[in-house]
Parts: sequence; C-alpha cells; structure tokens
Amino acid sequence: MAETSAWIFFLSAVLATYVWRFAAVMISHRIEANHPIFEWFTCLAYGIIAALVARTLILPSGLLALVPLWHRLIPMALAFLGFYLLGKRLWVGIVFGETGLIALMWFNNGAEGF
Amino acid sequence: MKELETNSRAVLAGIRNAFGLPALLLFSAMTGFGSFAQEQGLSLYMSMLSTILIWGLPGQVVHVELYGMGAPLIAVVLGVAGANARFMPMTLSMMPVFDDSPHNRRWNYLLAQMISINTWTEMLDRGPEIRADRRMAYFLGFSFTCMTAGIIGVLQGFILFESMPQTVSLCLIFLVPVYFGLIMSNTVHPPFLLAFVLGCILGTPMHMLTPEWGLVLTGLISGTLAYLMRHKLQVPWNNKEGNG
Repeated sequence: MAETSAWIFFLSAVLATYVWRFAAVMISHRIEANHPIFEWFTCLAYGIIAALVARTLILPSGLLALVPLWHRLIPMALAFLGFYLLGKRLWVGIVFGETGLIALMWFNNGAEGF
Repeated sequence: MKELETNSRAVLAGIRNAFGLPALLLFSAMTGFGSFAQEQGLSLYMSMLSTILIWGLPGQVVHVELYGMGAPLIAVVLGVAGANARFMPMTLSMMPVFDDSPHNRRWNYLLAQMISINTWTEMLDRGPEIRADRRMAYFLGFSFTCMTAGIIGVLQGFILFESMPQTVSLCLIFLVPVYFGLIMSNTVHPPFLLAFVLGCILGTPMHMLTPEWGLVLTGLISGTLAYLMRHKLQVPWNNKEGNG
C-alpha cells in the first residue's frame, strides 16, 4: 500500500512538471516563430530563474542553510567580480566564489575554535 | 560550428560541449538531491527516475519535501507545479530554435522534456550558430550528457553523501546558484538582464508571501515589466554603441 501511494505521489509530481512543457509545445505550434510574444516568454523565464537563484542563496533549504547568510552573499559577490572583471570566464567566477566560501568557512571555524 | 555536417557529428559536438561545466553542475546539483532524497526515505530507484522524468530540481525537491512531510496529494501537485512552472515560458521561448529543422513536430514533445536551465541557455546562445537541421541532434547530445551526469550525481549523493566532508558537499551545492547567477546575468539583451535583476530583488519577498507561487508571481511581474520597458531599454543601448 505504502509503495502504491509513493508511486501515485511521484507520478503526480512528474505530470505536474510535464504539463507545463506539454502546454508550451502545443501553444508554440500555433504561434509564428518570430512573434514578439516569445520575447515576453523569455523575460518571464529570466525572472523566474532569477527568483530561484535568489531564493537558493537567501533562503536555502538543506546544507547551505547551515552557513550564515553573509557566507553565501560574499562568495556570490566575489564570483560576480571575478567573472565580470576578468574577461567573463565562467570558471574564473566559479573559482572566485568557491574560494571565498572555503576561506570564510575556514576562517570562521578557526576563529570559533571548532 | 562549421563542422556539423552529419547528425552524428552534431550529437558528438553536443556531448563535447556539455562535458565540462554543464555536466559538472548537474552532477553537483543532483548530488545534493540524491542525499536529500535518501534522508527523506525515497528509494534510490525513484530518486533516479525523478531526475529523468521530472528533470527540474526545484520541483523534485518540493516533491520529496512534501511527500516526506506527509502532505496531501493536492499540495504536492500544486507545489511541484509552482516550483517548475518556469518550463512553460522556457519551452515556449526555445521552440522557435527548432522551427526550421526538418523533424516531425511531434518530436518537440520529447525535446521539451530535455529542457533544463542549462540546456535552455545553451540552445538560446548557441542554437542560432548551428545549422537548423543539426540543432535537434546537437541538443539531444548536449542534454543526454547533462542528464547522465545528473543521474550519476543522484547515485553518488544517495550512496556517499554522508561520508563526504561537509566542506566538499557545501561547495558542490553552492556551485548551483553561482553558476546560474553568472550565466543568466551574462546576457547581451537588456530586457532579459532587467528581468533577471528584478527577479533577484523580488524573489525572496515573494517567496515569503506565498511559498508555492512565489516563483511564478516573481517571474510574471519582473518578466512583464522588463518586456514592457524593452523599447526604452534599447534606445540608450543603441545610442551608446552608435557614439562609440
């Protein structure tokens, strides 16, 4: 019984995601490819993904919630600085961000005598 | 992208370009998901299927979270739908990329399943450089590689996460907002950048207002504002370029 209900919940979650993709393909087949509305859709997607990034950073669930907010914000700022000041290379930004995170964790643990 | 003369070459090019940061990112993100699913009592089999069939991390997390809490089915459906609603505008804006490609339109229902933030930005950025009839092959190569990396991530997270040092786990999880923050902010199109900035500002307060629909509302407000202001944004942009 528990097995069956787990699958019902899972398949509902699958459908709750696929319904968006399905509807989008269906609608897209009815609109001209160069219609300006596609630009609006892209704007919507950017807005939603931005909200997602902000939420993961400011109100995380799981392990990230264990480190204080400024341990997440400062490395993020460093990642942006590294990326935009040093030629927009993705790996540079990531190295800056991750190094910042490790340094802050190390410094904090050292200071509090963990 | 001149070398894509056959479909198999396009698939290989997709695999090659995904191998690296995009695959590493999916691996890291799904490592986090795998360990979370294990914690909440989901089976390994279902956790891996979740990555293939849902293929949208926020919705996957909401499903596991609410199911673990014993929430009613309707809450799971609405929660997942809200968390993954971005696939509607993402799929809509990506479909024109495949418009001149010769495949049967029905395949688009399968292609839509492969869309993630990663594969979406890749196709919007690089799609136009690729010959129209090779885009589907390229996209499939790219997204299957990402998905495979994600599945391996779930597996490793599910089995090994607790024995991994916490610093490593934290770095893997932190990679996700950093990566998406960087690739999404790095757009040349001013309205998209404005939508991104507004979304970053509104995201948290809207989430506190309504956890289920905060993402959707933020997207609607910031995306629509950015879209309505697109002409105003483009004028100074063009002037600046014109003035040198």
